[in-house]
Amino acid sequence: MRIETRLRTFAAALALSVAAFGTVQAQTLTMGVRGGPESLDPHFSALGTHADAAKHIFDTLVWADEKNQVVPWLAESWKAVDDTTWEFKLRRGVKFHNGQEMTAADVKYSVERMPVVTGPTTTAIYVKSVAAMEIPDPYTIRFKTKEPVATLPYDFVRLFVVSAQAAAAANTKESAPQEFNSGKAAIGTGPFKYVSWTPKGDLVLERHDGYWKGAAPWQRVVRKEIPADPARVAALRAGQVDVINYVPSADFETLRKDPKLATVKGDSVYVFNLQLDQREQTPKVYDNDGKPLAKNPFRDARVREALDLAIDRQTLVDIVLEGFGKPTGQLMPDGFFGSSTKIPAKVHNINKAKELLATAGYPNGFKIDLYCSNDRLPGDGPTCGALGQMFAKIGVTTNVQAISRTVYFPAQARLEYSAFMNGWGTLTGEASYTLGSMAHTPAPNIGLGQFNRIQYSNPEVDKLLQEGRRTLDDAKRRALYEQAMEKIVADRAYISLIVLQTAWAGQAAKVELAPRVDEETLAYFYKRKG
Amino acid sequence: MLGFVIQRLLQAAAIMLAMSVIVFTGVYAIGNPIDVLIPPDADQKLRAEVIVRYGLDLPLWRQYLVFLGNALQGDFGRSFLYALPTLQLILSRLPATLELALAATLAATLIGVPLGMYAGYRPDSIPARLIMGLSVLGFSLPTFWVGLILILTFAVHLGWLPAGGRGATVEVFGVGWSFLTRDGLMHLLLPALNLSLFKLAMLTRLARAGTREAMLSDFVKFARAQGLSEPLVLFRHVLKTIAIPLVTVFGLELGTTLAFAVVTETIFSWPGMGKLIIDSITALDRPVMVAYLILITFLFVVINLVVDLVYAVLDPRLRQGRTA
Repeated sequence: MRIETRLRTFAAALALSVAAFGTVQAQTLTMGVRGGPESLDPHFSALGTHADAAKHIFDTLVWADEKNQVVPWLAESWKAVDDTTWEFKLRRGVKFHNGQEMTAADVKYSVERMPVVTGPTTTAIYVKSVAAMEIPDPYTIRFKTKEPVATLPYDFVRLFVVSAQAAAAANTKESAPQEFNSGKAAIGTGPFKYVSWTPKGDLVLERHDGYWKGAAPWQRVVRKEIPADPARVAALRAGQVDVINYVPSADFETLRKDPKLATVKGDSVYVFNLQLDQREQTPKVYDNDGKPLAKNPFRDARVREALDLAIDRQTLVDIVLEGFGKPTGQLMPDGFFGSSTKIPAKVHNINKAKELLATAGYPNGFKIDLYCSNDRLPGDGPTCGALGQMFAKIGVTTNVQAISRTVYFPAQARLEYSAFMNGWGTLTGEASYTLGSMAHTPAPNIGLGQFNRIQYSNPEVDKLLQEGRRTLDDAKRRALYEQAMEKIVADRAYISLIVLQTAWAGQAAKVELAPRVDEETLAYFYKRKG
Repeated sequence: MLGFVIQRLLQAAAIMLAMSVIVFTGVYAIGNPIDVLIPPDADQKLRAEVIVRYGLDLPLWRQYLVFLGNALQGDFGRSFLYALPTLQLILSRLPATLELALAATLAATLIGVPLGMYAGYRPDSIPARLIMGLSVLGFSLPTFWVGLILILTFAVHLGWLPAGGRGATVEVFGVGWSFLTRDGLMHLLLPALNLSLFKLAMLTRLARAGTREAMLSDFVKFARAQGLSEPLVLFRHVLKTIAIPLVTVFGLELGTTLAFAVVTETIFSWPGMGKLIIDSITALDRPVMVAYLILITFLFVVINLVVDLVYAVLDPRLRQGRTA
């Protein structure tokens, strides 16, 4: 009798523990991600993969939603008090993982440490316009700027708030990685708590039950770094991971048809642009015998229009990118702050292109070197190759150079290219970020035009961009940037081609995916099924 | 003998020095790492600040001297990408690569040498022909493709083995080793197999050629005449005479596998040094590149030194020549 009871108890205990194990399994989300963080210090790097991981442990002052538009987060509201002062009201009762309440002192500490501890992919960009801070009460913080800065709330979508207390010792470049990577300072207000991390390895997290927005659906989250595309897909199909990001276009159809898997595709912030050097003389253009041209043909609007007409964007999307993109005519995706609705649809017309070239004085065309990266964004190399073939059809013989980004970017910065195709992501979701750095005449003294690698210069555009930067009124500023966008597009020194798309896949029975334009893969927003 | 070892170590130091100069100038020739790393919206002022902060504004020779001075004190600098000391970063990934490389090279030797010896001993038999035929495949199939096929077959379709990653580890002397756990071995099996195929084929062919030649020599005839059994002839006498080229290849292969298991590590997401070096190259993370290549040079020199010492053990003539 007693033995029987014992056996029963044992069986019951066993059943219970098996059930418990089952629940833990069901509540664990294992993600296979292409890239991970460089450090657990959220202020170390401005890279997208870094912020993606950091958002599991830390919250930002302002949140970028799935369409990259700003919404209140740790800050409940904000307003410009005067031309050079922004006031942010903080949410009350937000708790760090160590139980301490988040206040304005933590925000101030975070802003102050960013320029000190950041790595080469500097996060100082997010706080560079802050000249001074004031804390009138624990739930209010005022930011003083030297000049009017309309985009400050947008910059703060990457202002991660760390605990001033827990991260007190992590205030130098040398001490910060150790303090954060060991977990000691990795105390945030975010939906998950730090468990363990190894560089290039797994990031293991546990649910933060007291999360201000409600506890996450997952007890445990494991983010495995699997950079090789086939390996990531194999891990998903073998059931080793529940979710993967950056599904390669070649595998998308197979995964989509698999009944065990769910896939989701969404727009990204990245646009491919063809960029044409606007200097008087440019190094990589030649006549048909291969001799350098004395005059830069890209300064002639007819030549630029001819190249634009030669591009068949739909073919690029359908054939080259296997459906992972959308044709576009402007430098940012539709719906972003400053994207215009008045951009005419692009046409593909080879005959007209040839005529334009002839009237511009190049009836037999000429030769160019077209540069692009081949390892930065999906499809960058092949798209560039296809462009070369399209230009050849109108007589512009194109020597395509798709090279590694490690070689491509430094040479681009040295202005060694005449024509190049570049991917640009509007990470903040608004136009000053994109147009200010690409389309303003290079002007180091006012910090504009820093990525204008074609020396494009249009005084009207410059005026609009400078005015936009000063204008705090959202509606007025939006109109200014829309006008600037229309002018830039009409000039065709930047010829926009395609908005890229990205895809995720997951186990259909376990998880419901949520795409984001910034391509982040955030466990908190993935609903649990079953 | 001691003099020989010291001479070799001095050589190693010279090679490592030359290596660091080549890598330094090589990276400099590609371009400024900051142009790859800096965010697109950083303005010109911030960019200049970052460049100064990492000492990249100095002329190349001064950057090199600063590096050399620190390196002599055992400080190889911090990774641009991870902000961690480079040596710590590399050493933390060494055990994973070490166990993968050793598993692959040992498997290749323990399987390849007996197979090759059999094929050399009975060159006309059907198994021998089969072995030689398959060894051609081992040579010619690309590692990348074989790896994917292995994953598809054993992980995706059959579901017997994991598709990638490293299994559970056990701490021994403060270092985590995965070959001591069942889970770890399961994870190790496919990548080790994938990595060993090429070496297996090579060692098989090498052992076969050596055995065929040795079988015709006089000492085999005498050994047989003495009435020794065939296995004894093979494993005591033939193996010993063909061992020197096998040891040479073993050493070289171990070195290259340690340094360049990149393809296999990438396909199987094995957290070894190969992945680290590829990432540091794509990000122009110069401190890691330099430290890694210096370390690899050191490893190569040590392995070759050990190989030389093993020669001396295997062949008394070499031993005598050196001490003389």
